[in-house]
Amino acid sequence: MPGDVANQMSTFFSDWYYLSIRNIKQIWRPALALIPSLFIPVFFFLVNSFSLSAFSKVAGFPKVSYMDFIAPVAMFTAIFFSSGNAGIELVQDISNGYFKKLLIMPINRLAIILGRLTEVAVQAVVQGGIVLVLLLAVGVRFHTGVLGVLAIFAMLIVFAMAWSCVSMISALRTQNARLVQSMFVLAFPFLYITTSQAPKALLPPTFAVLASYNPVTYIIEGVRALVLSDWSAPAIWQGFLTAGVLFVIMVSLTLASFRKAIR
Amino acid sequence: MIQVNDLRKTYAGGTEAVRGVSFEVKEGEFFGFLGPNGAGKTTTINMLVSLVKKTSGKVFINGLDLDSQSHEIFKHVGFAMQEVGLDETATAREMLELHGRLYHLPTARIKEQILKLLSLVELEKVADRYTSTYSGGMRRRFDLALALIHEPKVLFLDEPTQGLDPHARQLIWNHLRELNANGMTIFLTTHFMDEAEALCENLAIMDQGQIVTGGTVPELLAKHEAKTLEEVFLKTTGSSLGDEQVNLNAPDPYARGRG
Repeated sequence: MPGDVANQMSTFFSDWYYLSIRNIKQIWRPALALIPSLFIPVFFFLVNSFSLSAFSKVAGFPKVSYMDFIAPVAMFTAIFFSSGNAGIELVQDISNGYFKKLLIMPINRLAIILGRLTEVAVQAVVQGGIVLVLLLAVGVRFHTGVLGVLAIFAMLIVFAMAWSCVSMISALRTQNARLVQSMFVLAFPFLYITTSQAPKALLPPTFAVLASYNPVTYIIEGVRALVLSDWSAPAIWQGFLTAGVLFVIMVSLTLASFRKAIR
Repeated sequence: MIQVNDLRKTYAGGTEAVRGVSFEVKEGEFFGFLGPNGAGKTTTINMLVSLVKKTSGKVFINGLDLDSQSHEIFKHVGFAMQEVGLDETATAREMLELHGRLYHLPTARIKEQILKLLSLVELEKVADRYTSTYSGGMRRRFDLALALIHEPKVLFLDEPTQGLDPHARQLIWNHLRELNANGMTIFLTTHFMDEAEALCENLAIMDQGQIVTGGTVPELLAKHEAKTLEEVFLKTTGSSLGDEQVNLNAPDPYARGRG
C-alpha cells in the first residue's frame, strides 16, 4: 500500500528527528564536556606548529609552512576525539535502563542508531567549525576555497560517523561504560601511525608501510590536499572513498551489534 | 487482554528461567505476579514486552500476536521497569514531550498529557529540573508518568515500589488504583505481599520458573488453608534467601579476560 509506506516513512523520519534532537541536546549538557575534545587538537596544533616549525626546512618536505601542513590534523583531531562520545552516551542509556524504554516504543530501531550518528555529525560541525575559525585566525589558507572547506567538513563528518561506530559497537557488545570509555586510547595509534606529523617520504620505511595500511592516513591526506593543493589531487577522492567505505562497513557492523544486543 | 500460553525461556548457558508459564489477564483486571527473587518474574514480564526473546510459547496482548505484531502492541502498552531508566541530561518535561513525540501523539494532546501526568505524580514544581536531581521516590513517580504518556490500555509494572518510603509507596498505590478504576489493565510483579493484597484482584505465584498457584486472595487462602497471603507464599514457594538465582544471562565484562 503506497499510503502505508508513506506513513511508515513519515513516522521513521519523525522518530529520527526527535531522537537526534534529544541526542544533540546531550552534547551541551554539560557544556564543559566539550572543552577536553577541543583542548586536545588546539593544544597539539599550537605546540607542534611552534616546536616543529624547523621541520619544514628539511629536504623533501612540501613547500609550505609546518603550520599549514599540520592544520588539517587539527581539524581532523577535533572531530576524531569527540566522535567516541556517541558510544559513551549509548552505554549510559543501556546501563541506566533508558535504552530499554526506547526498545518498547513503536519506533523504528534504526532511528535510534541514526539519531546517534546525527549527533556525531552536528558535534563534528560545531567542533570543526571552532577549530576552523582558529586556523583562519592564525593565517592558515585553504587553497580550494569555500567549497574546499565544505568538502573537508563532508569528509570529516562521514569519517566521524564511521569512527563513532567503534564506540557504539563496544557499547552494544559489552554494555560496560568503563570499557567503552577506554576505547579512547585507540585514537592514538590510529592518529599517529599516519602522515599526520610528516610527509610519507620522510617517514622511516616500516612506519610508512604501517601508515599506508591505516585508513586515517587517507582521510588526513584528503583533508590536507583540500587545504594545500587543488581539486586535481588524487588524495581528495581517495579520502572520500576511504571515509565512504568505512562508513558503510562500520554502520553495518553497528546495526548487526544492535540486533544482537536486543535478543 | 493478556493471554500467555506455555511461555518458556532457556538462556544460552542452559538455565531455564521460565518453564512453561500460562495465564490470562482479563481486560480491566489488576493482576499480580508474585514470587521470590530469582523466580523468573522479571524474565517473564520482559518477554511479554519483547525485551527478552522467548524460547517458545505464545503471547497475545489486546488480541495481537507478540511474534508478528509487536510494533502494534507497543502502541498500547506502557512499562515501568524495575530499573528506573531516565535520561539524566533532560528535564521531566522534555522527556515527557519526547516520549509523546515518539508515540506520535498530536502536539495539543502531548501538552495536555504533560500537565495531567505531572499533576498526577505531583511533580509540577520540578518539571523543568534535570531528572538527575530527583530523589528515588520522585524518579519512580516520574517513571510511572512516562509509562502513561500515550494512555496505554495495558500497564506492566515490575516492582514499582522497590526502595520507596511508605509515603511514596502509598502515593503510587493510589495512582494505580485510580488508573485501574478508569479501565486500565495492570500487570504487576512484586514480592511485597501487602502490595499484592492491597491492589490485585487476581494473583499468580511463581517459583523456579513455574506458576505454582493462582487465584483471588480469598481463593488462595482457602486453597492453601492459610491465614495470610505471606503464609500462602511461603507454603507454595518454600522460599529462603539461599534459593536466589544469579542472572547467568547478564553480560560478563571479564569473560574475554578469563579466556
